[in-house]
Amino acid sequence: MIRLESITKVFPGQEKPAVDHLSMDIPEGEIIILVGPSGCGKSTTMRLINRLIEPTEGRIVLQGEDVTGVNSDELRRRMGYVIQQIGLFPHQTIADNIATVPRMLGWDKKRTAERVDELLATVGMDPGIYRERYPKELSGGQRQRVGVARAMAADPPILLMDEPFGAIDPITRDRLQNEFLRLQADIKKTIVFVTHDIDEAIKMGDRIAILQEGSRIAQYDTPARILTNPANEFVEQFIGHGASLKGLTLAHVSEVELADWPVAQGELDRRALRDLLVRSDKSAVLVLDEGRRPVKWLTLRDLDSRGSLDEVGLSADRSVVEPNATLHDALDLMITSYTGTVIVTEGDGSYKGVIELDAIRHRVDEIRRAAVERMRKEPGAAPADELVR
Amino acid sequence: MAISGAPAPTAPDVPQAKTAVGRAEAARGVRYLFTPIMLALLGLVLYLWVKSLELDSIEQRTLNSEFISKKLWEHVKLAALSTVLVVSIAVSLGIVLTRPGARRIVPVAMGITNIGQAIPSIGLLVLLGITLGIGFGYAVLALVVYSILPVLRNTMVGLQQVDRSLIEAGRGMGMTKGAVLRQIELPLAVPVILAGIRTALIINVGTATLATFTGAGGFGDLINNGLRLGRDNVMIVGAALTALLALTIDWIASVAEDLLRPKGL
Repeated sequence: MIRLESITKVFPGQEKPAVDHLSMDIPEGEIIILVGPSGCGKSTTMRLINRLIEPTEGRIVLQGEDVTGVNSDELRRRMGYVIQQIGLFPHQTIADNIATVPRMLGWDKKRTAERVDELLATVGMDPGIYRERYPKELSGGQRQRVGVARAMAADPPILLMDEPFGAIDPITRDRLQNEFLRLQADIKKTIVFVTHDIDEAIKMGDRIAILQEGSRIAQYDTPARILTNPANEFVEQFIGHGASLKGLTLAHVSEVELADWPVAQGELDRRALRDLLVRSDKSAVLVLDEGRRPVKWLTLRDLDSRGSLDEVGLSADRSVVEPNATLHDALDLMITSYTGTVIVTEGDGSYKGVIELDAIRHRVDEIRRAAVERMRKEPGAAPADELVR
Repeated sequence: MAISGAPAPTAPDVPQAKTAVGRAEAARGVRYLFTPIMLALLGLVLYLWVKSLELDSIEQRTLNSEFISKKLWEHVKLAALSTVLVVSIAVSLGIVLTRPGARRIVPVAMGITNIGQAIPSIGLLVLLGITLGIGFGYAVLALVVYSILPVLRNTMVGLQQVDRSLIEAGRGMGMTKGAVLRQIELPLAVPVILAGIRTALIINVGTATLATFTGAGGFGDLINNGLRLGRDNVMIVGAALTALLALTIDWIASVAEDLLRPKGL
């Protein structure tokens, strides 16, 4: 998809190259993370791809076409571009912002307007409300969504993202990351994503390139292999402590076996619920609404209470995950969940099952064993695999 | 809260926003009307006062509507033409000087325009009058030299204060340098540039009174006549009319600033 061949950038007046003979292949439809300490040249590398910075040496090959010498403005219109500051034009409406590239490509008004509405809906913003607003009227998270929508406006096959979630509070960042991963599952773009945060890299990346000074590749591999099999001391140090906890962000709720839980729906009958609870040896019954969405937990004490059953119980909102959530998220909720379990729902919010701690432990064990197995098969697995040339 | 749940739709607080906007608009309406009413009243007072005077023949030669309209027209022409020239020169120069390649000549250009403003305006006019010649054209030239600095400086500041990340975002999406300038940098610099133009206009209206010394006409003729012939009334009318004209133009410029400021800022 994108091939960098011995790309080098020496900035005028500097002796050391910012990017030193970097060669890498970026496969189609994957999220490739460039991660490394400050000043390692990761942002420069990304800007070399769309030639915001012109390389001193080397070639950039895009879908088999050498684009090192083509018109750089036209080249950039073929790639979406998202930066940390997002850079929405404050004097243009959200619709005008998103329409930037379609306008340059000469789309007609109708097609552009339809595309704007479609994209706003894709990033979860109501076009009717937000189309005519100005950037200053949006929250940080909303601006970020518009930034992504703007980058995807002309449906480019490639997205370049430079710390896109860097300036957002941790809670919103987490939500945006999840949304973005869900979106990527549909759109399957080739994404080059720059970050300095290894946790974000592990969560978002199909492959991670850990870069050292001069944009030299320390390891270019899948997150699982980087975590279980760091190529050298630099990578090990960069990953830092808690590799196994980080590994939990690689496994998803959909991979573990769900357990059954006593549930109740519709008309609530105290005696039936009591029987159900006692037979199940669990601490609470989960009440579902008519759409089978989890509502609340009812304990024995709740069932014995005098008041109406509508008024007692503990809300189940805080212990619900979707199948695409990571085990890290699930464990996090589990620790604070009232019953020590997490409820898994389908995309439409309906109840699917619960996860208990043992299921997570079991899955971690499996992952570890698989990694050990792989290492035994490829003794001294080199950091450079077929992708680093 | 469900992990990776859909974002909660933000309830738009439309009514509240509307009243706030409404209040701001009402305040602006009052401001728009207050100044012209005051100016009209002052003009009326001046007119009635002149009416009430018993003018001698010398005063009658200048204090009549025909002479005053002629001088008004000359004055407006001087100020307007010089401002148009200043804007076209200074804004273009400002754009050139803020391009990355021009960094080295910035101090030189700023130095030269600074000299223009540092010389006392009357000295500048007379110097140009002596060296180049007298008349309308040279008076306009002097005004241009004198008032170029505020527009140039504001154009440069206006363009430089545009957030670099906007330019990077624009370039990164494939906008050409020219498109970034036209669609992002200039619109965002408009408020600052307009403030500079407004300053230049006021300077030009005031300084144009001095054009009388190089035979270019304007309200300066009234003041000068009054002074030379010992007719205080003529002098007062000339000065008062200049002030009224300056205030009127300043008001027009302030309205233009509000209308031309890009939305969303």
